[in-house]
Amino acid sequence: MLEKALIPQILAIDAGGTMTDTFLIDQDGNFVVGKAQTTPHDESIGFIQSAKDALNYWDLGLDASFPHLKTGIYSGTAMLNRLLERKGREVGVIVSGGMEDYLRTERAIQTYLGYPFSDRLHVITHHHNEPLVPRERILGVRGRIDLFGREIIPLYEGDVRDAVHRLVDHDVASIVVCLLFSYKNKDHERRVREIGQEVMAERGVAEKPIYLSSELYPTRQDFPRLNSTIMEAYAAEPSRETLQVVQEVCRQAGGRFELRIMASHGGTISINARELARTMISGPIGGVVGSKFLSERIDVPNIACTDIGGTSFDIALITDGEFSTKHAPDIGRILLNMPMVRIDSVGSGTGSYVRVNPITNRIEIGPDSAGAMIGVSWPEGGVETVTITDCNIVLGYLNPDYFLGGDITLSRERAIDAVRAQIADPLGIDVYQAAAGVLELFEDQLKNSLLGLILGKGYTPESYTLLCYGGGGPLHVAGYSQGLAFDDILVPAWAPGFSAFGCACGEYAYRYDKTLDMALLPGDGADKRRAVAEAIIAAWDELKEQVNAEFKKSGVRPEAVSYRPAARMLYYGQLNDLEVPVDDGYGSNLEKMLDGLYDGFEAEYGKMYGLAARTPQFGYMVTAVVMTGSTPVEKPELPNEAEEGPAPPTAALKAGRNIYADGQWVPAQILDLQRLRPGNVIEGPAIVESPASTMLVPAGRTARLDRHSIFHLTTDAA
Amino acid sequence: MSNVALEHDYGIGWGGASLAGMLEESERIFSETGHYGGLDELPLKATEPIRYEKMFSRLRGGLVGARETAMNISASPIVREVGELCFALYTPEGDAITLSTGIMAHVHTMSMAIKHMIRSDYETNPGIAPGDIFVNNDPQLGGVHNADVMNFLPLFHEGEIVGWAAGVVHELDVGAPQPASMPIGTVSRYEDGLILSCMKVGSNDTLNRDYENRIETAVRMPFYWVLDEKCRIAGCQIIRATVERLIAEEGIDTYKLFMREVIEDARRAFKRNLTQMTVPGTYRVPSFMDVPHEEDKGLMPDYAAVNSMMNCPLSLTIGRDASFHVDLDGANKWGYHSFNCTPSGLQGGLWVVLSQTLVPNDKVNDGAYLATSFNTPYGTWSNPDNRSVSNTLSWIFLIPCFTGLVHALSRAFTARGYLEEVLAAYPFTGNITQGGGINHHGQDAGWSNFEHSSCGISARWGYDGEVSGAAMWNPEGDMGDVEAWELTEPLLYFGRRIRPNTGGPGKQRGGSGWECVRMLYGTERQILFHCNSGHVFQTSGLYGGYPGSSGYRHMITNTDMKERIAQGLPYPVEDRDTEDSQIVANVEADHLIDRRCHHFPVSQSEYDLYLSVLNGGHGLGDPLDRDPEAVVADLNSGDVLPRFAPTTYGVVAEQDADGHWVLDQSATDALRADMRKQRLEDSVPVEEWMEGQRGRAADLDFIEPVAKAYRESIALSENWAALYKDFWGLPDEWSPPNGDASGRDR
Repeated sequence: MLEKALIPQILAIDAGGTMTDTFLIDQDGNFVVGKAQTTPHDESIGFIQSAKDALNYWDLGLDASFPHLKTGIYSGTAMLNRLLERKGREVGVIVSGGMEDYLRTERAIQTYLGYPFSDRLHVITHHHNEPLVPRERILGVRGRIDLFGREIIPLYEGDVRDAVHRLVDHDVASIVVCLLFSYKNKDHERRVREIGQEVMAERGVAEKPIYLSSELYPTRQDFPRLNSTIMEAYAAEPSRETLQVVQEVCRQAGGRFELRIMASHGGTISINARELARTMISGPIGGVVGSKFLSERIDVPNIACTDIGGTSFDIALITDGEFSTKHAPDIGRILLNMPMVRIDSVGSGTGSYVRVNPITNRIEIGPDSAGAMIGVSWPEGGVETVTITDCNIVLGYLNPDYFLGGDITLSRERAIDAVRAQIADPLGIDVYQAAAGVLELFEDQLKNSLLGLILGKGYTPESYTLLCYGGGGPLHVAGYSQGLAFDDILVPAWAPGFSAFGCACGEYAYRYDKTLDMALLPGDGADKRRAVAEAIIAAWDELKEQVNAEFKKSGVRPEAVSYRPAARMLYYGQLNDLEVPVDDGYGSNLEKMLDGLYDGFEAEYGKMYGLAARTPQFGYMVTAVVMTGSTPVEKPELPNEAEEGPAPPTAALKAGRNIYADGQWVPAQILDLQRLRPGNVIEGPAIVESPASTMLVPAGRTARLDRHSIFHLTTDAA
Repeated sequence: MSNVALEHDYGIGWGGASLAGMLEESERIFSETGHYGGLDELPLKATEPIRYEKMFSRLRGGLVGARETAMNISASPIVREVGELCFALYTPEGDAITLSTGIMAHVHTMSMAIKHMIRSDYETNPGIAPGDIFVNNDPQLGGVHNADVMNFLPLFHEGEIVGWAAGVVHELDVGAPQPASMPIGTVSRYEDGLILSCMKVGSNDTLNRDYENRIETAVRMPFYWVLDEKCRIAGCQIIRATVERLIAEEGIDTYKLFMREVIEDARRAFKRNLTQMTVPGTYRVPSFMDVPHEEDKGLMPDYAAVNSMMNCPLSLTIGRDASFHVDLDGANKWGYHSFNCTPSGLQGGLWVVLSQTLVPNDKVNDGAYLATSFNTPYGTWSNPDNRSVSNTLSWIFLIPCFTGLVHALSRAFTARGYLEEVLAAYPFTGNITQGGGINHHGQDAGWSNFEHSSCGISARWGYDGEVSGAAMWNPEGDMGDVEAWELTEPLLYFGRRIRPNTGGPGKQRGGSGWECVRMLYGTERQILFHCNSGHVFQTSGLYGGYPGSSGYRHMITNTDMKERIAQGLPYPVEDRDTEDSQIVANVEADHLIDRRCHHFPVSQSEYDLYLSVLNGGHGLGDPLDRDPEAVVADLNSGDVLPRFAPTTYGVVAEQDADGHWVLDQSATDALRADMRKQRLEDSVPVEEWMEGQRGRAADLDFIEPVAKAYRESIALSENWAALYKDFWGLPDEWSPPNGDASGRDR
């Protein structure tokens, strides 16, 4: 299949909890996937093993290939695990006097964040998180800045000295400072740092890093800002060392690339970036970034991204070529104030448990799941409750002898017995009907979430192309797209590795947000408007400097950076802002810049909430400014091979089997993905198998594999 | 068919019936068959369980999505920070089919408003047509208090009404004489602010300009109301679109059957839950609330400026047939204060408790209401016989009342062995900080801080309560960020600290409460008020646990804060201990400390301080049974003040060189043995004790607010009078001294 010499160009590595996956891409878009056991004590070992495994498929060695690599992207779970397992640094915290109990009282929402609906109501189940920093290392200093940034009470410097002394006594590794309204006026936080440095010098102790919330995450909302800043010192900083070791190992193998990581804002950043906590969750972000990349390359501006894994269904929208960003996400039941690609998650995946509630006699899917234990059909897993995967086994969709390419063998009999006893008999229906019903309900719930998101954004499915990835996606995409008239339905042949691929597609980009809070009211005259415009531009300039400073660490000069300014706006008085990108062609015409902001906001608002919800009579508020700076990096090519005829080669045909569809057993064509050729058209009922994924093409629908190795599944909607 | 239906033969109801006729028919069928819609079977669920579930999931998804989307439109921090909004979908007759998350109290209150419009023949006048918009905040028609403003959109299919979409938001200001959403000290509804009694305010999906004018001139900071109204209407429109799509896909006949089945299904599920989780019987839990207005003489009319108390002798009777009856028989009379309730408000409270305890799931709807019954005796605070009473703060009475219900349910769960469901009820949701005036933006505004939605959670069987968790009326409590509240409130936070000794002692301790010290700034003056139970514990702890602390008021005026700040002198960031007040120690001022936590608003000036203590949860089990190490941990964390460890818990601990508390096990064992012995020595047989108290009971020899409450209860309920006599062994001919038969004051 491959004629030319392979020169690997991009290496994307995802170090998961158990396995480290490598996605290696050459100059023509050919790719290969490697795997190795994750080595938590020293992630660089698993990293190299996994890279070697991938290179083996192309008969290449490390030394022969690493010098050719132009890009290396790493994503790992080490930082997240450090947070979840509470194994971070011993940090000291200085907050506004009286606020020392922040991490004990939390915001009460953190007692039920991530809970399913029923437990959110069920107050008896609510629990606080174990604090990242114990109360004795959280100290208050008096002094107050108000919401306008005015100093109402000067900083009590004696409090600061006492606090630093006590933290030094505790031998903390670093100190986090988060004072009220510091995003509006940094003076007190800066003074805390100065005093801190003085005290440490007086005591003759090694200077410990001091993290200021006003520098790292200067946006409103004290609790999320504190959390984000703590996260930086507690979990991210120790992970930086891990990453530096991986970078060093790459250098030793001849790699000349700078290792980067996918960050929550959807760009990749250097491992030396100041705000490293943004890389806490990179996998799901990678999927959306990959979708955006695909959107550009195949010229499809609107994509609904869907990712089914074992425990959740993630949805995101690319609209006019852009994903949207949320500003107050949460990770591990902790509220943060960093920008994050908006991904909505529904708590059901292929591992979700299925039960019939004995009291209501109604089917319930999830919210808990068997995770890696698959389901009842895997005897070794010890699972006793039916899962979605079990239903797929019962109905013949999944091949019990080819799960994970045959690495493990599943028992169809066990699945049938369990579905009968747990689902079919209580409902008084046939076992196959029951399994099919569960899948229908499962897919329908996914469909509702997807539809809700699209309609909520003011669009209809017709204006989107559906993209499906993740290990479970290709099997269920036909079901959750049923009846929805998407413009097209795409399933990349590399769906299971799409998130890792996406990490390699990211821009090299830094993004900074800064709260501004400038009102523009109906009666405001030209002077006020000019003052607001100038303040906005000054803030953009300040953020540009930050972007440049980060790039400078990697030797990227300002001339090589392109900037994308944006503003976050709302109607005066509201609390939820929308992000409005700004066309920076306004030159020196400030009125034009402001008009661009209004128009952009009105258009976005009207689309999102309906035209009737617009309320311009109250005026506007620019809550925050945003600056994203990016510099060109090597990105993958999509596979591009000439299309051949529609008939799949006979070599691709595997032994057929019956599948259950529309209440009856029908013979289905079974195909081997690896042997399909571009241009082939699969007519349903058919199943396309590969070691990591299974795709279902139902009767009446077809899937054509295009030159980029992407299937186009036809819709069934009128 | 009823007469009403015949009068409107070509109505908007099904098959040309009038809507009023449909409602009457629906109620007749339910009362005759005991099944909603007369459905003794659920044909759709039985034959097509998957399709049934899919339809449900579609509607639910639509409602949750409506709330998530609409929430972003609102301006109010109590919507954004605390989530005070809720959406629901109803049948044409106004029975809830499904609902979103949020303030679920309103699922049935909105139902009552819809039924009111139907019974009042709105179909004829003002008319009910596609695209119409209705509004209500009148608690006597449907609602808890007029801060809760609801919009209704009728849903139509081919000219026939197929339901209602409704949404409710708690407003920040209601245009009352005093600023803020829940004025206190009001003596009639004419002081409650703007009341819109089930009005049609828009058509063709557009609000009438005259209505908008009314809002813009009637409330402070009208943009909050206007944006909240847009939020409600946008949510209702999303629900309407969801229903229209479902009907297009499934067919109207299926949808009609489905809406009936899903309510009947939930009614049955409620009964099955009840059967499984509880033991039949009658569970009684009294609760109380103080109304200390005597010292407000001059600010309030003389007839209102009196000290009184709410008596709420709740009983829950679970029948062997899984009937569920809540009875407030014996409640005392309504009063000239802001706390009177309406039957609709009480239904709201019932909903909240049921959806947190017996049926916390996404299948809940008015089926649960239909499986319950509720007696709110006429003439009592729960159902006043005077339509002019004020209701702005009816939660002040609802919270203790329904805390009693949680208590009752917890005992029923214990009896059945569902220990994981046992909760030592709730603390009172206070202090509620409200106020208004010219603010730091120079605008005249009212504000209601909702951080009280995260009071301490009470102890649970086997483990302690949580600090800063929830409110009785909102399990999804949140206190929001300081930086969010200070946007609208001209009071700086000087801290939010865990308040020692607020969690009720017990084998499992109630979750601690917390406190805020705040300073007025950027404004010459503000009207401020407190709301908390100061003189009473609203209910007890459970199984020997103590209640969480009651509230108190500490007014700090004429302070030297300006000078302190200028000179860099210490200022208080907490109070910590009333007997060793950090506020008193750290600021020169006029300090007024008392238990009048409900008071007529007072004006305070710049640099005055304000203390708000948020209550802790109740304890469960005997404090002497608490693991001594847990008590020592409480000392080290500051949840318990050192002097209470020996007196309350019988725990002796010493501080080491670093100031950490360390258990003295043998001294603890000895102290606990002594305390148990002392208890035995102090105790007397119940009969003996009652003998000693009988005279007081006969003479109502109590402080006047208590005696007055009992006189009223006895006058309003023969049953309760009989219970009282029976309990105390008083003769049949006994009647309360110093009161006439009407229960009126002397």
